[in-house]
Amino acid sequence: MKLHRIGVAILIVILSVTLAGALAELPSVEQRTSTSQLTRRVIDGGLQDTGALNLVSAVLFDYRAFDTLGEATVIFAAVAGVVMLFYQAPLHPSSIGLSMLAKRSLDSIGPFVFLAGMYVVLYGHISPGGGFQGGVILATLTILISIVYGLETERRLLDPTFKTTLESSAALLFMVIAFGGILTGEYFLSNLSAGFPRGEAGSLLSAGSLAPLNAAIGLKVGAGLALIFYSMVKREPE
Amino acid sequence: MNWVIALFDAGVIGVLLIFLVISAGAAIAFRNVLNSVLALSVFSIVLALLFVIYQAPDAAMAEAVVGAGLVTALFLVTISKTGATGGDG
Amino acid sequence: MALPVAYWVVLILFGMGLYCILTERNLIKIAVGLNIMEAGLLLFLVRMAYSPGDRAPLLGTGVIRMADPIPHALTLTAIVIAASTTALLLSFIIQIHRHYGTVDIDEIRSKMK
Repeated sequence: MKLHRIGVAILIVILSVTLAGALAELPSVEQRTSTSQLTRRVIDGGLQDTGALNLVSAVLFDYRAFDTLGEATVIFAAVAGVVMLFYQAPLHPSSIGLSMLAKRSLDSIGPFVFLAGMYVVLYGHISPGGGFQGGVILATLTILISIVYGLETERRLLDPTFKTTLESSAALLFMVIAFGGILTGEYFLSNLSAGFPRGEAGSLLSAGSLAPLNAAIGLKVGAGLALIFYSMVKREPE
Repeated sequence: MNWVIALFDAGVIGVLLIFLVISAGAAIAFRNVLNSVLALSVFSIVLALLFVIYQAPDAAMAEAVVGAGLVTALFLVTISKTGATGGDG
Repeated sequence: MALPVAYWVVLILFGMGLYCILTERNLIKIAVGLNIMEAGLLLFLVRMAYSPGDRAPLLGTGVIRMADPIPHALTLTAIVIAASTTALLLSFIIQIHRHYGTVDIDEIRSKMK
């Protein structure tokens, strides 16, 4: 056992030295941002191309939107896997929740958590944030409800079937927006060139299809992760 | 005054990087899985702070919410379902 | 070598995570090690996009020098994918525990025979 650990440590030291050599060969950041066509294109032409102020959202939902579609598919596969693994587990409503103090506290902060999640989703093209972060905040709210009020209450508030429907319809919404580009004679997932309104930079209704795509991803991630937590927690402890 | 700000920046980044390594080491060294998962949660928060200093607010927000909220909750569910804390210390 | 300090931390985190994965026998600790390895990768991506004096990649603030937004988008993708794969991994751990009654890989291996 001791020998095994020493062998692993030697292996990792060799790997780290190799990686350090590779990192030293990388061009420095100043060199890269001054010469990289891609980075200059995004920073200088991002507003012109997408109408979004948040360049990370511009990259995620316009330049690399197809990649985001693939990412949504990975999340869908993970949710499907977890739900399938726990499909036959019966609901075990063991917990009646925490004390009244915790319940009243959640009553007061819950709406604000929801508001923060929706804000982060809907303003993703203007300020830091977007569908992924906001969706996870919304999923965290359902985790809080199931801890504080018990799983039974959470199930009554948000039925698992409802969550499944929400996730699938959000994925459908994404695809409908994506095919909108093809219908107008442009490419799959085209944004401004497909006739989505540019709007005034910095206002809520701007940047064409970025805001609806953000909303679709937010609903999808939120419903999917909430479904993962619900499926994992419903099995009775052994 | 610019060099004072630069020095302060370097100091904050250095302290956070040291915290990062310490919390990662704690997450690995703890024999008790529960302690290990809580150390991982601290690790995520420190990483999110570093992302803010490195001017990546989007990534910082995602790391804070996912690392400290969702993944920790899932780990705690797993520990409670398996009942395996793996010794103390 | 004149590597930035953060790159050394990336190497340390990567090595620590890999060591944890290769030597631990508890499946949950292996998941923790995987998360630390992924975090090292994320730190590398974010540090790569930054040079001192840069500001966040948000337009409309009059900032001229900004960090590279493309690695930030990659980081965001990586974080969310890591969370969903971790969820799947933990679900498998729960199912393995249900089947074998333990999360120690040596015991699981002896029970498989």
